[in-house]
Amino acid sequence: MTTTDNFNDGATATVDTDIVLDVQDLSVTFSSEDGPLKAVRGVSYRVRRGEALGIVGESGSGKSVTSMAIMGLLPKSASVSGSARVLGQEVIGLNDAQISKVRGDKIAMIFQDPLTSLNPVYTIGYQIAEAVLTHRKVTKQEARKRAVDLLDKVGIPHPDRRVDQYPHELSGGMRQRVVIAIAMANDPDVIIADEPTTALDVTVQAQVLEALEAARKETGAALVLITHDLGVVAGHVDRVAVMYAGRLVETGSVEDVFYRPRMPYALGLLGSLPRMDEARHERLTPILGTPPSLLDLPAGCGFAPRCPMAQEVCHTSEPALEAAVDGEDDDPFRRHSAACHFSERLVDARPEDLFRTTALDAEAPAELAEAEDTGAAAERRQEEAEAEPGEVLLSAIDLVKNFPIRSKGILRRKIGEVQAVSGISLELREHETLALVGESGCGKSTTARLLLQLIRQTSGEVTYMGQPLHSLSDSQMRPLRRDLQLVFQDPFASLDPRMTVSDIVAEPMQIHGRGKGAKKRVKELLELVGLNPEHGSRYPHEFSGGQRQRIGIARALSLNPKVLILDEPVSALDVSIQAGVINLLEDLQDELGLSYLFVSHDLSVVRHIADRVAVMYLGKIVETGTTEELFDAPAHPYTQALISAIPLPDPVKERTRERIVVTGDVPSPADPPSGCRFRTRCPKFAGELTDEQRNLCVEEPPELLDRGTGHRDACHYSQVVELI
Amino acid sequence: MLVYTARRLAVAIPVLLAASVLVFLMVDLSGDPLAELRLQQPPPSPEAIADAEARYYLDRSIPERYWLWMTGIGGNGDIGLLQGQFGPSVRGVAFDIGTQLSSSIYVTIRLVTAAVIAALGLAVLSGVVSAMRQYSKLDYTLTFIGFLALAMPTFWLGALIKEGGLWFNQTTGTGFFYTIGANSARVSNMTGWEYFLDSAGHLVLPTITLMLTSFASWSRYQRTSMLEVLNSDYVRLARAKGVPNRVVVRRHALRTALIPLVTVATIGIVAIIEGVVITETIFQWRGLGYFFIEAVKAQDAFAIMSWLMLSGTLVVIANLVADILYGVLDPRIRYE
Repeated sequence: MTTTDNFNDGATATVDTDIVLDVQDLSVTFSSEDGPLKAVRGVSYRVRRGEALGIVGESGSGKSVTSMAIMGLLPKSASVSGSARVLGQEVIGLNDAQISKVRGDKIAMIFQDPLTSLNPVYTIGYQIAEAVLTHRKVTKQEARKRAVDLLDKVGIPHPDRRVDQYPHELSGGMRQRVVIAIAMANDPDVIIADEPTTALDVTVQAQVLEALEAARKETGAALVLITHDLGVVAGHVDRVAVMYAGRLVETGSVEDVFYRPRMPYALGLLGSLPRMDEARHERLTPILGTPPSLLDLPAGCGFAPRCPMAQEVCHTSEPALEAAVDGEDDDPFRRHSAACHFSERLVDARPEDLFRTTALDAEAPAELAEAEDTGAAAERRQEEAEAEPGEVLLSAIDLVKNFPIRSKGILRRKIGEVQAVSGISLELREHETLALVGESGCGKSTTARLLLQLIRQTSGEVTYMGQPLHSLSDSQMRPLRRDLQLVFQDPFASLDPRMTVSDIVAEPMQIHGRGKGAKKRVKELLELVGLNPEHGSRYPHEFSGGQRQRIGIARALSLNPKVLILDEPVSALDVSIQAGVINLLEDLQDELGLSYLFVSHDLSVVRHIADRVAVMYLGKIVETGTTEELFDAPAHPYTQALISAIPLPDPVKERTRERIVVTGDVPSPADPPSGCRFRTRCPKFAGELTDEQRNLCVEEPPELLDRGTGHRDACHYSQVVELI
Repeated sequence: MLVYTARRLAVAIPVLLAASVLVFLMVDLSGDPLAELRLQQPPPSPEAIADAEARYYLDRSIPERYWLWMTGIGGNGDIGLLQGQFGPSVRGVAFDIGTQLSSSIYVTIRLVTAAVIAALGLAVLSGVVSAMRQYSKLDYTLTFIGFLALAMPTFWLGALIKEGGLWFNQTTGTGFFYTIGANSARVSNMTGWEYFLDSAGHLVLPTITLMLTSFASWSRYQRTSMLEVLNSDYVRLARAKGVPNRVVVRRHALRTALIPLVTVATIGIVAIIEGVVITETIFQWRGLGYFFIEAVKAQDAFAIMSWLMLSGTLVVIANLVADILYGVLDPRIRYE
């Protein structure tokens, strides 16, 4: 869908005024102590009035720097060359006074983190009005009226009251709407949104994306949407540009790039993405290696070192961005283009034709790679999945954890309680992956810690192989800890930077008196997690994020545990890296017969890896069942909302999906709603139920029961809806 | 904001009470003020000693003495902080602690106020300029001056400044800098304007001495905090709105960057009040510093206690002002 078709046969003059943002050969180089850092190299693109362009790429690909250069917001250490025209006016090289007239008026920007984007000492009304007053000759009253107006347009309830509030009184999703309102303030011609929803929960992301759509409609602005999330791109843009190592490597309509990628990197990205709309057990195809250092770029194609079809020429000459399909539209800014010497070979290629479904790291020794037999492993998985469920290893009954809220001051009186976990029962069986999903603050990480007895429950029971853990002392607990290990979310913070990798992996063995033979075991473990065992003497900072996460997994495995608690193990990793770690986790489970408790907010990953899923909302499980049951026949409105809020990386499906949208934010766990905790945001409660039916929701907390769907849900009026 | 201020005020009272207990105990337990009298040769009569003990309330128990010192109820009318009486001085009836203290305060408060204002103003200015021109020659120069001022001890720096002033006067043959006292000797027959000029002139060198250390450390803080704010997302958003750089710095960066300085400066004011003893000695001012040294020399327990209580009160007031400023600058504090 392109909105530009109407202008195709118009006069040349119309075409020119139609282009609102014209970027030509833009390059950005930062001077650093280690030499020039080429963050952006020769990027060109055009955006037409009302059009939406998505720029996708992984961290460090230069996608944000490009737009910061256009906005003139880069630090002085950056040297920018090339050209960027906003409505025909050159903006590169303008001084502060000149570019200030363009910024916020013709071109506006939305940033990633809504929690830090607003000045904490001014009211939101002031900050919106400031944008108006900067560019328009209006009175303060008029600007304030405009602020109220804009708040209303981005969907903030009670705008006339909210306008006088300070940022800290608003939730993250609300604050991002305020930032969108600021961007809309002067009806700009271009809005650049830089990862506008990355810091938000999925249901809030859906709301904010909606507000962004509303902003586009209202202002008629073109949108440049910068994101790493292919799903968000699929649903919200007309054209896509893929960036890698500071260059555009593929551009085209969203359908072209998603269905017919012609650059191996784009194909690889799509293959490494776990998808919610695909059945389990299909192996992901990670892209081996990591993006090149921008300080020391390879001579040829930036992707060549990671590309499975790289030839001699790829390492010596950098391919230009050229038409991917002969004889198509000759406008270089609209046709499907790819920067690959062999792009014609990718016609009808699928990711698995090119990339291996490996679980190894790029630096793993060659003999490991040869020995790897992933096909058989996948088959085994298939069989396992159909086998009878194993014995219960770890179980929780009515687990409750309340954290006290204390008053400030010397006395620190207890003035309330946060009910982080309120009555959760779950079972983790042998050789099974149970996923615990929910948005931030739902209590999923607290549950994981309770299961490990890293914190003690307020009430309830935790048993491991029939043995009650909740009554054990710390020293009685210690021998059992061998069986229950934890992998953390942040691969950077969870490894001691002053210890070598060998020492890190061996430490649990030493603590548990198994130091003998640890050296040999460390090598085995490193090999097991797909790393080069020779690298044990290195320090964590010498490894990439994905490699560090593998080290963390090796450490967790060193004591031969039966259960691994994985707390968001892949959410800090880029997609292409994440796939390798997911494959590794799957292989390890098969080889070692592990059980996983997989804590995650990412339903796509969960769909891919989990056998059973428990969905949490405000400290309670609202629905649980096998992965297939839950995704194919979700019964609880919250599960339905979560599933429909996850964008699918498939433009056609994503645009035609039925959506169940929740409103508002998660209530405070210190004061949860009576009855059903979800009712304040429930679309069913708001839209479908009669007053009489609602009474039940308000008064009676629904129990987790099988209500005829084959799996258990906690909704008085549950009803299966197919969403994928 | 009103509730917030009231609450802060309410907190100040127990703090002052606790301070008074500590001050009283520390001074009271530190030695016998009559030791000299007792050791006199020939020994004074027991009546004379008992007389002195009664005059200085040493015949009472410790809790009683504290009660007396605070309220004056049951005393001879020369004691009781709450009644504005500071207690009898061992330096004789003619030496009234209250009178002496108030004249000392008047002298010192001028100096402290001038130093705090000068240090704050210069620190903010230099911190902001340094941050905005990070890694420029100006930044490096200001950094160097800052560290130099931090590294040099006040008593030496003070002497140097005084010498510098004298040298300037000598070479130019003028009396441009005043190096001794808070006012000229002929102060009694000056007009108001002359008196003001005379006082201001005498303030110059001591103010510089007293403020240098604080200026140096505060400007470092201001630079760091300003840099942090200049790199913050909300300053970037303000720029993205099209607000001109000048306005962004003043409106968005400076205001938030001042918040941490308030905390640091409050603690720093205590250091200035302490440092005033040295500065006053160098420039021979008869202010609080002089008062304290004389009191210690004379082992004048009530004078020492009064001085300590006064400094304590000044610190509490400084904190109170800082808290209120905090509330004004940062709405997040107000709503706590």
